Amino acid sequence: MGAEKTEKEEYMNPEDLKYHREHTWVKITGKKATIGITDYAQDALGDIVYIDLPEIDIDIEANSEIGEIESTKATSSIISPVSGKVIEVNEDLSESPEVLNDDPYGKGWIAVIAVDDPSEADDLMDASEYLKYVEEEAK
Amino acid sequence: MKIAILGAGPGGYVAAIRAAQSGAEVTVIEKEEVGGTCLNWGCIPTKAIIASTDLLAKARRLKEYGVELNGEIRPDFTAILARKNRIVQTQIQGIRNLFKHHRINLVQGRGTLTSPRTILVDSPDNAQETIEADRIIIATGSRPYQVAAFPFDGKQILSSNDMLNLTEIPKSLVIVGAGVIGCEFACIFRELGVEVSVIEMLPRMLATEDREISKLLEREFKKKKIKVLVNKKVESITAYPDGVHALFPDGEKIVAEKALIATGRAFNSKGIGLEGIGVQTGPCGEIIANTKLETTVPGIYAVGDVKGGLLLAHVASKEGITAVTNALGGDKTMDYSAVPSAIFTSPEIASAGLREHHASEQGIQTSTGHFQFRSLAKAHALGDIEGLVKVISDKQTDRVLGVHIIGPGASILIHEAVLAIQHGMKTKDLAETIHAHPTLSEALMEASEDVHGNAIHVMHK
Repeated sequence: MGAEKTEKEEYMNPEDLKYHREHTWVKITGKKATIGITDYAQDALGDIVYIDLPEIDIDIEANSEIGEIESTKATSSIISPVSGKVIEVNEDLSESPEVLNDDPYGKGWIAVIAVDDPSEADDLMDASEYLKYVEEEAK
Repeated sequence: MKIAILGAGPGGYVAAIRAAQSGAEVTVIEKEEVGGTCLNWGCIPTKAIIASTDLLAKARRLKEYGVELNGEIRPDFTAILARKNRIVQTQIQGIRNLFKHHRINLVQGRGTLTSPRTILVDSPDNAQETIEADRIIIATGSRPYQVAAFPFDGKQILSSNDMLNLTEIPKSLVIVGAGVIGCEFACIFRELGVEVSVIEMLPRMLATEDREISKLLEREFKKKKIKVLVNKKVESITAYPDGVHALFPDGEKIVAEKALIATGRAFNSKGIGLEGIGVQTGPCGEIIANTKLETTVPGIYAVGDVKGGLLLAHVASKEGITAVTNALGGDKTMDYSAVPSAIFTSPEIASAGLREHHASEQGIQTSTGHFQFRSLAKAHALGDIEGLVKVISDKQTDRVLGVHIIGPGASILIHEAVLAIQHGMKTKDLAETIHAHPTLSEALMEASEDVHGNAIHVMHK
């Protein structure tokens, strides 16, 4: 079960990631980008029961849908923060989608993308900007 | 007035009863069993089997519902088919009893029109009989379409009819065609533990439905581990001792124990004498008829699958009634603007009216509303939260143009939408109508509210 956040409690968003306004994160390592959904996203969705993962080898574009997540109360698109080719997906999530609730920045990673242009991620929000963004959105 | 009806499926038998109710002297000619494809090979037998597989699916979730079972849950295919056969037989008897009650003369045999007023019947015992009538209604239906490149062999390469003759559950099944028939059989056999692959030539499953419905069903198939291949053309299907090989042009292949070819239906318009008396057919063999269902020969009407259009039992029945009304001097036209369709996949699908992609093609400006069943308490109580209701309305007038449902009870819920569409109601009318709580029906009310951004159980960004 996704932990309920109290008003004072902040979403702990790692400093080394970049964040997209559709609540996905990306970690750039050389020409590879690992992506996932944010803690805020998993909390808003509630208990996640299914993830429709992207297919390996498909080309994706930043800001486009690459998969879908179903929770017991909502379904939501996964929007890619970067462009490139999907080279790896986290198959473990098919069997245990609840990992997305438990560890969205760790074991809950969704896919690895070979990026065309790593600098594309520079335009995304950093941790503090994203925190401000979700606080605004929550109002 | 004497009326002769060729074919006793849902078009013909309903026409016969309405004609008898209206005082006509009625003869029905049927070469097989009353009830047609619907009762013998289609709607009813598959729904009887689906009742078993639905129960099986629920039984596998007993623990989730807090019900304990000591023992194994497994399908008994022989018993499932025996139950299906009993249901079909009861319904056949029901139609026969109705015919008796209405003094409808049922003639067993193959009928051929020899003139615009006579039908020659070859009965199974080689006797011949000529039926004379003032009006004739052709309701000969359709049959599984046979692809020339891979004809049915009845053993490994099967039609939907053959599927109902299987005596054992195959280990694996490849289905060519992801239309209604292909998708329903995929769900049935997957639930029975079969490894199922579905191949579709078009870019999506259920191509005649709204895109969002296809998309959601594809995801549900994925969850069930039914392999879905779209945009794929099968080059050949060959039966080998080790199974059926479905070969693609790129050299890839799928091997399965059986293949179901569900690529469409062919019209039963050949060999019934149409050419000789001037009843015209279209490019696919469908009988051409006007909105009053009269063919190119006055006094001869065509109803149901054989006249093409929407191949649905309930359309055939309504056409049967319309044709009879006109044959007896009435003046009725068919209105196809609010025809519901129900697809008994898991989850169920039902729709009526306009699809969103048709709206843009027709230049209609629309608004849409959505509501997910998972936002509904009743869906959670039932334990069936998958699916959604989508309402499409005219942006200017707010009139309901189309409703698309995938989810629990879709085939029941759709009829409220059919009434709304048929009677020109607005989404506001649906939204302002009190719906009982807690019911699945609330989903249509909420989807109608959502057209105006006012659904109660949705958080909009």
